[in-house]
Amino acid sequence: MMTFNLALRNLLRNRRRSLATLLGMAIGSTAILLFGGFKTNISYEMHTTLVRDGGHLQIQHRDFYLYGSGNPTAYGIADYTKILEAIKNDEVLQKMVVMATPALQFGGIAGNYAASVSRTVIGNGFVAEDVNRMRMWNDFGVPSKAPLSALEGASEDAAVVGTGVARVLQLCDALKIARCPKPEKEQKAEGAAIPDDIAQLSLLETPSVSASDGKAGARIEVLVVNSKGAPNVTSLEVVRAEDRGIKELDEVSLMMHFAKLQQLVYGKSPPKATSIMIQLQHSDQIAEARARLVPILSSFSKTQPLAVLDFRELSPFFVQTMSMFDTIFGFVFLLIGSIVLFTVSNTMNTTVVERTVEIGTLRAIGLRRGGILRLFVLEGALLGLFGAVLGATMALSLATLINHLGIHWLPPASAVEMPFTVAIWGETSMITGTTIGLILIAIISAWWPAYRAARLDVVEALRHV
Amino acid sequence: MADQEDDLEPAPTGEQAAVKQGPVAVLTQVEKTYQLDSVSVPVIKGVSILVRHACFTVLLGPSGSGKTTLLNMIGCIDKPDKGEIIVADTKVGELSDDELSDFRAKNIGFIFQNFNLLPVLSAYENIEYPLLLAGASAKKRGNRVPRLLEAVGLSDRAKNLPGQLSGGQRQRVAIARALARKPKLVIADEPTANLDSQTGAAILSLMRRLVERYEISFLFSSHDPEVVKAADDTIYLKDGVIQKIQRKGVGEAS
Amino acid sequence: MFDFGRQVIMKTIFPMLFALLLGCGVVQAAPNADEILAASDAIRNPGRSFSFTSTLTEFQNGKQVDTNTLSSYSRLEKGGQYSSLIRFVLPARDTGKLMLKNGNDMWFYDPTNKASVRLSPQQRLLGQASNGDVASVNFGKDYKPTLVGEEQVVNGERQMRKAYKLALVAVAPEVTYSTIEMWVDIENNRPIKGRFFAESSRLLKTVYYRKFQRQLDAERPTESVIIDGLNPQSVTLMRFSDYVARDIPETWMQRDYLPRFQPE
Repeated sequence: MMTFNLALRNLLRNRRRSLATLLGMAIGSTAILLFGGFKTNISYEMHTTLVRDGGHLQIQHRDFYLYGSGNPTAYGIADYTKILEAIKNDEVLQKMVVMATPALQFGGIAGNYAASVSRTVIGNGFVAEDVNRMRMWNDFGVPSKAPLSALEGASEDAAVVGTGVARVLQLCDALKIARCPKPEKEQKAEGAAIPDDIAQLSLLETPSVSASDGKAGARIEVLVVNSKGAPNVTSLEVVRAEDRGIKELDEVSLMMHFAKLQQLVYGKSPPKATSIMIQLQHSDQIAEARARLVPILSSFSKTQPLAVLDFRELSPFFVQTMSMFDTIFGFVFLLIGSIVLFTVSNTMNTTVVERTVEIGTLRAIGLRRGGILRLFVLEGALLGLFGAVLGATMALSLATLINHLGIHWLPPASAVEMPFTVAIWGETSMITGTTIGLILIAIISAWWPAYRAARLDVVEALRHV
Repeated sequence: MADQEDDLEPAPTGEQAAVKQGPVAVLTQVEKTYQLDSVSVPVIKGVSILVRHACFTVLLGPSGSGKTTLLNMIGCIDKPDKGEIIVADTKVGELSDDELSDFRAKNIGFIFQNFNLLPVLSAYENIEYPLLLAGASAKKRGNRVPRLLEAVGLSDRAKNLPGQLSGGQRQRVAIARALARKPKLVIADEPTANLDSQTGAAILSLMRRLVERYEISFLFSSHDPEVVKAADDTIYLKDGVIQKIQRKGVGEAS
Repeated sequence: MFDFGRQVIMKTIFPMLFALLLGCGVVQAAPNADEILAASDAIRNPGRSFSFTSTLTEFQNGKQVDTNTLSSYSRLEKGGQYSSLIRFVLPARDTGKLMLKNGNDMWFYDPTNKASVRLSPQQRLLGQASNGDVASVNFGKDYKPTLVGEEQVVNGERQMRKAYKLALVAVAPEVTYSTIEMWVDIENNRPIKGRFFAESSRLLKTVYYRKFQRQLDAERPTESVIIDGLNPQSVTLMRFSDYVARDIPETWMQRDYLPRFQPE
């Protein structure tokens, strides 16, 4: 206790120096926590977005994830309606599941032949009401809202495309998309004209200008390969263009009603789904839900191997992003920790030199070397403690301030601006971890000066001026 | 680290006591050399003395005679290169560093020329500190420290920090601190050097009283003639060797 | 004596019988849809293995955009359907490239980097691959025809012709077109026009067969005008020439042989 008292009073002795060191530590602690809060916020936002779009778990054909992109419809799930029934009837899952809904992915060509343009697309058919319900999930209380899909309530042949698709298919005017510059018409050396007789034949086949042209509609033809390998085509009305956040996705994305797509792909054959999306109440229920699903699925897996994937497995981008942030966080911690190390070390060194006579005195009146070491390490530890606690307090205050400022920013791979917030309140493990970490660093940085103090020769120390 | 009696008691007085107790310190052929770069400078060149128990002993000599070095070695904060030192019946040369620290805490009190009080502690706390080092109970401390303060006449200054005390008052606190654990030997290097003559005299008479009353052995180095006058034994040191020893009541010895 | 009798019968009775029968209209039995389709198939394809050259010219929005010359080797397989090996001749950048259609598989081979790739059904939606399935194909093998009726229809030379209209429904699994409408000239069983539909009943292609010339013992259409059903501004003109009847070895129709293929 005396050591504690002694250490504390010695810190108070040179208030200015102690305060400066403390403040340095506090600012370091604040910086770490603010960055950590930023990272946590992004984690929550991305997590929420993924769960809103695709649910927590997806049931897919086992090979769909790795091989399905070449030919999605070859990996359909038969009896998907029975699987959905089973999920609905399971008593444990009932309490956890917010929504279970089927989806069908396909690849094909979308064309606006009135403008003679077409584009390969990767598409999704889903049940619009279900998906819009899923888009309301907000377990983390993030401030951003997901836009609802325009397909809900739209006609059967409605489609929503990415803005890139709309651009390439020249639907900008019909869909009233801003920032849609028309491409320069390439001055290609014009080829020979089509022979007249063939042109006439072509005209015979051209549908006459019909009433549909009167509508300012955005009609496209979608050509897919059906489950039998033959082409099939349908006509869709594009009701909206959605920004998908990533340019590459924007340029191939097409969404339509599940039932309509099934018709297109499976025709009169039994329809399938390429995945069943399951959204839970809370993300920490994933393991339990999965454990519950596996035995249910095994009864459907006799003719088709099925797998359950969670949203992290399906979204390597999320895992990679968070991993990168963790690395950066570690890096920031290390940097700031080094500065703290240097600052405290410097302060302690100065203190030791100043109190050389005192150290000699203490040794002469019988304090062991170990006692001297403990005394100075304790001083460093106290500096660390007060600095880190002050830092945490500052960080919490700053976080409150920032979160109420209402700044917005556009994160990468996002279409909508999000409120800029830092999530520090409630993140006890981050705060505790940072505080303890900094205290440890302070102790370590006090150790060497303390050690030198303990090793001082008593006579030399007493002689010190 | 059990201590002797719980409070300060006057010890049996007189020569009987002196005869009964052996010398508090015995030095045998002690040598010490300092190395300055490549040059060896001998400071103590073969000193053999004994310091009597319950006596006021003064080390006298010019600057550079090795007084401080000798004091340091008897005080166990320095080690001789050759020879043996026995303090309070203990061969201190055989003790480890931690053992020496403990030995000093228990048996030796230091009074410094510059008082060397801990500036962040009050008078009371400074005196208390050695007791805390010993792990003495709050009861014992509460008992002993006020009595020490009283013995040095500073009961009313208990809560003052050293910065709030005069030189003399500080030295008295230092004395009280040195006595806190009832050491066998109190060592002081020029204790009155930083005090005016009046204060110095007062300190001396205090120390004299303590020697007589409590049978503590004091060993000083000093230039001060007043100090010499008050001493029981005077040891004359020059160029690292003993010139002569004067002991009151025992006659001169060389 | 007998000779005289025979001559009389042949000169008098048979013609009378003929006239009778003609009068009753019995000789003109209702034509069988299968027979009509088979006949039109026979006009397009020589009923044996053969090779020919085809020149393709693509038009977009009224202007020529691309042209290719291909050598085709069509082998008549057991079961009556053709498999084809096509070699690109022009333009020079494509010379030597090969395409193999065998059953439902389509393969593409590039000699410059010796890579062969199987075209998935999705990849066949575009480009040259999509034209092959209206050319050397015997529809009779994969489709069941029904005679819908007789119609006047404009042919490839923009003349009005009287035609049988056939409705073809796919019977073989995994054929490209779900249903086909075929107009066959009543007079000579020439295929005039075909319309090819997807399962959703959307028109995928229209083909006019024209410029009939004598090739390999029959009058065959040496030009096909293929008009894209989704985009009528996209027209491909296929011209066929250099028909040669020949035996084509089975090994040519195998994917492993592609790197070793040498045109003869």
